[in-house]
Amino acid sequence: MSYNMNDETPAERPLKAYAFDPSQGHNLGNFMTVPVRYEPLQAGPVGEYLAVVDYDASNNTYYQPVDLDDRAVLLRGGLDPSESDPRFHQQMVYAVASETIRRFEIALGRKIRWGFRGAKKDDAFSRKLRIMPHAMQEANAYYDRDLRAIVFGYFPASESDPGTNLPGQTVFTCLSHDIIAHETTHALIDGQREFFMEPTGPDTPAFHEAFADIIALFQHFSYRDALLEMIQRTGGRIYQQQLAPRVEPATGRPVIQDELSTTNPLVELAQQFGEAMGMRKALREALGTEPNSTALRTLFEPHERGSILVAAVFDAFFTIYMRRTRDLMRIAQSAGSVTSPGNLHPDLANRLAGEAAKAAQHFANICIRALDYSPPIDITFGDFLRAMVTADYDLVPTDRYGYRAALIEAFRLRGIYPEGVTSLAEESLRWCPPDVLKGIPAPVCEGLEFDIPKPTTPAQKAKNAKILSRFGKINARALGLNSDAKVQAFSFHAIHRVTPSGGVKVEMIAELMQQMEVPLDRADKSSPEFTFRGGTTLVLDDKGTVRYAIQKNLGRDDGHNVRLQRQREYYYSSEAAMAMATYGGREISDLLPRPGHKRPMNFGLVHRGY
Amino acid sequence: MVAKKTNKKSVKPPKFGPSTIRVRMYRIGFGDCFLVSLPVANGAGGDTHKHILVDCGVHAKGDLDMIDRAVDHVGVTTGKKLAIVIATHSHQDHISGFSNKFTSFEIDEVWMPWCEDPKDPQAAKITKRHAALAENLERHFATEARTARVDKTRAAAMAAVANLVQNKTSLGLLRSGFSVGADVRYLSAGDSLKNPAGVPGLSVRFLGPPRDEKFLSKMDPPTGHSYLKGGTSERLHAIEPFAERWRLSANDPAVAHLRFSATATEELQKELATPSLNALAFALDQYKNNTSLVSLFSFRGQQMLFPGDAQWGNWKFWLDQDDAETILQAVTFFKVAHHGSHNATPTDALEKMSKGKFAAMVSTQNVPWDSIPRIPLMTRLGEMTKDRVVRSDSLALVDAPKAPKGPALTELPKGFVQGDFWYDYLIKL
Repeated sequence: MSYNMNDETPAERPLKAYAFDPSQGHNLGNFMTVPVRYEPLQAGPVGEYLAVVDYDASNNTYYQPVDLDDRAVLLRGGLDPSESDPRFHQQMVYAVASETIRRFEIALGRKIRWGFRGAKKDDAFSRKLRIMPHAMQEANAYYDRDLRAIVFGYFPASESDPGTNLPGQTVFTCLSHDIIAHETTHALIDGQREFFMEPTGPDTPAFHEAFADIIALFQHFSYRDALLEMIQRTGGRIYQQQLAPRVEPATGRPVIQDELSTTNPLVELAQQFGEAMGMRKALREALGTEPNSTALRTLFEPHERGSILVAAVFDAFFTIYMRRTRDLMRIAQSAGSVTSPGNLHPDLANRLAGEAAKAAQHFANICIRALDYSPPIDITFGDFLRAMVTADYDLVPTDRYGYRAALIEAFRLRGIYPEGVTSLAEESLRWCPPDVLKGIPAPVCEGLEFDIPKPTTPAQKAKNAKILSRFGKINARALGLNSDAKVQAFSFHAIHRVTPSGGVKVEMIAELMQQMEVPLDRADKSSPEFTFRGGTTLVLDDKGTVRYAIQKNLGRDDGHNVRLQRQREYYYSSEAAMAMATYGGREISDLLPRPGHKRPMNFGLVHRGY
Repeated sequence: MVAKKTNKKSVKPPKFGPSTIRVRMYRIGFGDCFLVSLPVANGAGGDTHKHILVDCGVHAKGDLDMIDRAVDHVGVTTGKKLAIVIATHSHQDHISGFSNKFTSFEIDEVWMPWCEDPKDPQAAKITKRHAALAENLERHFATEARTARVDKTRAAAMAAVANLVQNKTSLGLLRSGFSVGADVRYLSAGDSLKNPAGVPGLSVRFLGPPRDEKFLSKMDPPTGHSYLKGGTSERLHAIEPFAERWRLSANDPAVAHLRFSATATEELQKELATPSLNALAFALDQYKNNTSLVSLFSFRGQQMLFPGDAQWGNWKFWLDQDDAETILQAVTFFKVAHHGSHNATPTDALEKMSKGKFAAMVSTQNVPWDSIPRIPLMTRLGEMTKDRVVRSDSLALVDAPKAPKGPALTELPKGFVQGDFWYDYLIKL
């Protein structure tokens, strides 16, 4: 008997999808194949994490579900892209969502879980995220925790200003690779940091939007064909918003399509959607406008504010890409090779593409890992910078290319300053271990159980929750918790990561939460009450020693609680922004978090503002 | 005998004279009707003042039947001579009073925001869409109200829509300059006029509405909604995205393992397929408010701000940030935007004004929307103006005893005088 490789289950299931969206046609490597991790599937498709249910609420009908194990489908490597065949749409959402999940699992070092609970036991899909590719007629797509689903809308393109679409044609948001990745990311963040959906300040909804855009944008750099073409047409400067035409216009003005200069889809999001809405450009861009350190003071709408964070991260990414490729460009130029757009040597273009893809993967991983190093609630952009710097330092202490310095500088240029730090030096920005912060020995939490890489069993979870609550209460001062409020151990993960030097790091991450009921107006006890939360993210090594206690103190309602005051002001200004609130259609108490309150952040509404 | 000196300082009510500016706020209900009188030396025909009428309208659901009387009274006060008529935006509660009565007036100029210009292609595009949606909504609400009970939010939405429709006559009169040869100007943010309509010493700077892309993109209600089946507008209909061969009913065995339960299906229909008509109504109302002409009058040291119903949160960003704050700090008179709603004048705007430096007037009442005016805003306004603020509904009307009652004024603040159905604010120069 000898070992037969062909007996192994396949590692991948290739599935076709649009790299961008139907509007790019066959250009720019738009037709791509996603190497989705193989899993057994039912028609739908329905897999371990996802259930694609093609129900259309506006028309009250189902559409034929696709069987991805059908021979005809398998032989083709997936159905060919088609706007009129709903089965391709189901295939595409499944493929892109799975791909996004896989990236998160690799970066996080564990199997992901979803953020929704409380489904009925007899619901076959209670633990799966449902995806409805044609849920309703609306120019919108969003993740809804209560529905435990991502819903995608479809809509007719503008008659008068459809951009690159046919006037009045049906535009499907589920065919935009960016939109699928963006929405899946919302669901994934919700699974790791459930309280990030509670809007406590202008940064929280903006963070969710920005992070989702960041992941969707970084995914662009894994589409090899598109990347190569873009590198050629920008001469290696992939951050440029305009691509040089494929053929230089002979007479100075373009007369055929290949002489037209187009925008660079690598740095844009959801182009078809934006064009269909009559915006004449993509929905959002990676770099947007020039860095402006005062922009944060004036932009509060979640997408606008979030775009500052996106621009900061991408500024750092493109800077690193240029640093990594500088030597290649010098070699090419010293050999007499031309490096202008359209004329790069194919080998050079290949190497540049490799560097871009690598750097993109690094940055995406830094961002995803930083989620684990974030406080459990009330995230600010400054907190996220500190989380990124700490997470990256832990895995890669020697930063040869200066990734962390590039991030810090990019944030500084855009006026993103963390609170409570003494300087913008990297050591100051890393989270402080509790022994340094408080001057007492780092507490050790003993007895926690886990088996990596298997997920923690429910029995282990229950036991760990008790241990962690007690641990939190006893060591409240060291961990930044209130000693007189109940400590709830909200989540626990054991993770393992492989370091570049080949070692394996094992860590535990836990969220400890506290809350108190406070009136909206401190001076007016009859004003509506809301739940104010605080908590600490614990990062423990495999022995249980607390390495970091990333805290948002609950404090007291004594007039000196800066965080509480900020949150109150935020509720007042959000109310002012709502049209319905003016006419009494919405009371401010509808916006406030309270026990049993449904849906604190309504992505449907946020996304309607695009 | 020496007259006994009393300790009480007798407060003499200010008098209107040849060197006084007067801002008159008529009480007509829920709406705006302001008459600004500016002193001019050697006015034609011995006139001591030139008059500017800023809005004249009342909401049908907040009407005290006083608007026609107000128009007549304006005629009497001004000798039927108006230098400028301003219609800040085409909401019923700002223009319903512009009737044929004005055709017997002498009017030099009519000012409106560029969004009302019938010859402007951008304006026409926006107006056409909004008008179609508003009319559809009105029809839908009316049909619904005949058979179903109307809850509070729906009633508020219906009132918002009512404000948008049936303004054609007034708009027609305004656009034609009331057929009395008035110059009709359509203005935008950034425009300014010096000595307009022959009023010497007056400079007007317009702070809104802007013409930039960001503002325009905010003017678009979400497209593609299947709001109303069978609507007449180009897009108000449901589309079927796929051919017949792909459609399956819930009973089909192919979806047996996927289908939602009956309750789940109902929930999904409610969440996803029922459009929020209320939200659309309020959104359309908000868009219209933000087309308001925002005028800053500078006259002999006084800075008087008339923002119509524009929300501060929007128009401040169309200015340079520093500029906007400087303007607020210098204001000496403020006509409170949008009848005292929190939306129009949020906290941070009010805080930027100079405490004690300005006086304010609010034309408002709590019918038809009981959350307007916003009480905490009114309180803070009182503090910021050191009590030099009045609300139109504080005035008790002999002819309308059932009119909604605002806070009673025991004593008029400094500079204010009460009339039969108006308040005057006088500034002695």
